[in-house]
Amino acid sequence: MSSKFQFELVALVIFAVVIAFGVPAVMNYDGFELNTFARYLALAIVSMALALSWGVTGLLNLGQAATFGMGSYAMAMHLKLRASSGLPDFMSWNNVSELPLFWVPFNSLAFTLLAGLLIPAFIGGLIGIFMFRARIAGVFVAIITLAFLVAFQLLVINQQGLTGGQNGLTGLAQMTLFGWAFDPYSMGFYYLVAGCVTVALAIGVYLTHSKFGLVLRAIREDADRTRFFGYNVANYKTLVFCISAALAGWAGMLYTLVLEFASPTYMGVSFSLAIVIWCAVGGRESVIAAAFGAIVVNMLEGRLSDIFVEGWHLILGVIFVLVVMFMPRGIFGLLVEGAQKLRTVGRARPGHAVEPLSTTPLETNQER
Amino acid sequence: MKRRDFLGGMGAVGTAGMLSTPALLASSGRALAQGADIPVGLLFSLTGAVAVVESTLHDAALMAIEEINASGGIHGRQLRPIIEDPASDPATYANRARRLMIRDKCVSVFGSYTSASRQAVLPVTEQRNNLYWYPTLYEGRECSRNVMYGGAVPNQQQDDLIPWAIENFGPRFFMIGNNYVYPKEENNYCKTLLAKYGGEVVNEEYVPLGHSDFSSVINRIRAEKPDVIFATVVGDSDVAFARQYHAAELDPSQMPVVSLTRSEVEVKAIGGEAAAGHFSSAPYFMGHGTPENEKFVEAYKSRYGGDQVTHFVSEAAYFQVYQFKAALEKVDPANITPQTIRDAAVGLTLNAPQGEVLIDENLHTHLWPKIGQWKTDGQAEVLVESKERIAPRPYAAYEGQTCTGEGLVKA
Repeated sequence: MSSKFQFELVALVIFAVVIAFGVPAVMNYDGFELNTFARYLALAIVSMALALSWGVTGLLNLGQAATFGMGSYAMAMHLKLRASSGLPDFMSWNNVSELPLFWVPFNSLAFTLLAGLLIPAFIGGLIGIFMFRARIAGVFVAIITLAFLVAFQLLVINQQGLTGGQNGLTGLAQMTLFGWAFDPYSMGFYYLVAGCVTVALAIGVYLTHSKFGLVLRAIREDADRTRFFGYNVANYKTLVFCISAALAGWAGMLYTLVLEFASPTYMGVSFSLAIVIWCAVGGRESVIAAAFGAIVVNMLEGRLSDIFVEGWHLILGVIFVLVVMFMPRGIFGLLVEGAQKLRTVGRARPGHAVEPLSTTPLETNQER
Repeated sequence: MKRRDFLGGMGAVGTAGMLSTPALLASSGRALAQGADIPVGLLFSLTGAVAVVESTLHDAALMAIEEINASGGIHGRQLRPIIEDPASDPATYANRARRLMIRDKCVSVFGSYTSASRQAVLPVTEQRNNLYWYPTLYEGRECSRNVMYGGAVPNQQQDDLIPWAIENFGPRFFMIGNNYVYPKEENNYCKTLLAKYGGEVVNEEYVPLGHSDFSSVINRIRAEKPDVIFATVVGDSDVAFARQYHAAELDPSQMPVVSLTRSEVEVKAIGGEAAAGHFSSAPYFMGHGTPENEKFVEAYKSRYGGDQVTHFVSEAAYFQVYQFKAALEKVDPANITPQTIRDAAVGLTLNAPQGEVLIDENLHTHLWPKIGQWKTDGQAEVLVESKERIAPRPYAAYEGQTCTGEGLVKA
């Protein structure tokens, strides 16, 4: 156990060093390239957030994009208010004459930053309470979260006067903190995002290896047994849902800063499924692997679309199918199995099995 | 990266040299030399939800670029099209626009169909002070100094249409549109015209984008018996609406659909039978009889297939490239920047397929509105042609606000 913790800590340090020093050097300190990479890093956070609920606890949350979108909109609302004198432009287009009440507190940056974390956490918790108290598990978690995502996106699109509808929130100001304007093409901004990813990953690594993480893994393997041991399974599940939602909200805030607009497509089904794919490619059992997966897939997407203007989607799709078929545990699984083989060959010590892992996540954790 | 250079070299070097290393060296070498290629971006979705329409815009713009290159380029320099596929996703649009404007240093980017994608590109084009050529009709209320608007704004599509529709069919309008900013703005403007000419709105309804079940809407139309169905339904929704309207046996001679968005592409998907008898207002129809249009349609068909159609957005995508060419020709070859191109473009006239168009100082385009009635062969018969070129007034629905050469002015 502790060796695994050490292993992940080393991986975290390597990851942090690479994104802090290696990536900017490779990118030649070019503003555009760093901005593109900052986008991948923001997405890495939401992917690792999914790994916490899916990989560690066995709750496949297909609505991760909803909480991501909440964070993104919270930040965009603040920046929109900054950019407009008086009423935001899209409101007057929709014949809204007064700033809606729930927009008012977003004038404050401190409130916005808190709201971007706490609103997703609250909503995630609310859904969690209803689901897990009722002992809903397995595939039904996926269905309910997916349904919530679709409903939430529809709501945002339909409330055009309050949310900007299909067009989202555009024409945003740059965020200023202590008199420093966040130019998304600057080194400073890149380090802000890189720092956030590192901190988020550190939280994720700590959580998975703490006692809390142990209980979560026990729940993943057998929720009933864990309950018989006296743990309140519903509370644990709800809490991990909250944490995962807050991290997704954090990623969403950064994403808005990188792209300088918020769009309802951030809460779309395809985006939410993309998060699942990143997580699966990287390896859902480790938060670092999941973050790595997001970066790899998005970089691949960027490069492929650069080289094959037509058909890059198809190539990407084929790669995903191959990954699921031949590397069901992702890149991380490949590494673990490789290490395993080395160890058995080196020490000739049979029977040292990895902890049991489910290859089909949807069927684990079925409560009766 | 490499294929990109190849692509650029294609026009000059030809396919045979494409795969050899010297071709690559030659083309990247040229990019640094004095008479280098001029990089322009093409940002139309080739995949995803709006690809059906946007790929035709891509085709039209690319055709114009290659025509220009074939006839010797501009100042003897070739245009180097850099093609990106934003996959119908606004975040991807923003990202690809950054690539084109920052990394590839395009002096102009041609792209987009939906308002959402235009707005996703806006922050980067304004910050980088680049130029974005947007060929689509849109809702107005925008006055960017970094976007060249080639499509109609509400006043250009409706000023002739509404009094004509009231006179010919009656004053009671039923508004149906998709639920986003474009239909709402068009309807806002329509209401001011209805008030002016004595019309009335009997119902105003919005369905979600991509919505395809119009049975309840059609029931309400049956119950209300309006004189005109004023439609701003887009894409697949419009196809579904037109088909169901036809299946419900509502008679176009009693209750015609007057659409601002239905073009030859949609009619092709709807089928001539179901579309026949209804009306559209647009600055261009495929059957328009100018020599420029005959040339355009013929070139398009021979290039992309005889069953392909041109329409009012692809026409703009096509002529905007020629506007870009005309502007570039006025610019000092040593000083080609998005700003000099924009400044040279203001006041330009060009014989487009629809007639002679002019770029206003507010960067919108003076166009020739027409009203066409669809026939069973999928083409429109133009019933009304504007006698004069109509100036774009993107803030027409809002008194005291005008979009000028200095940006938005509020009285």
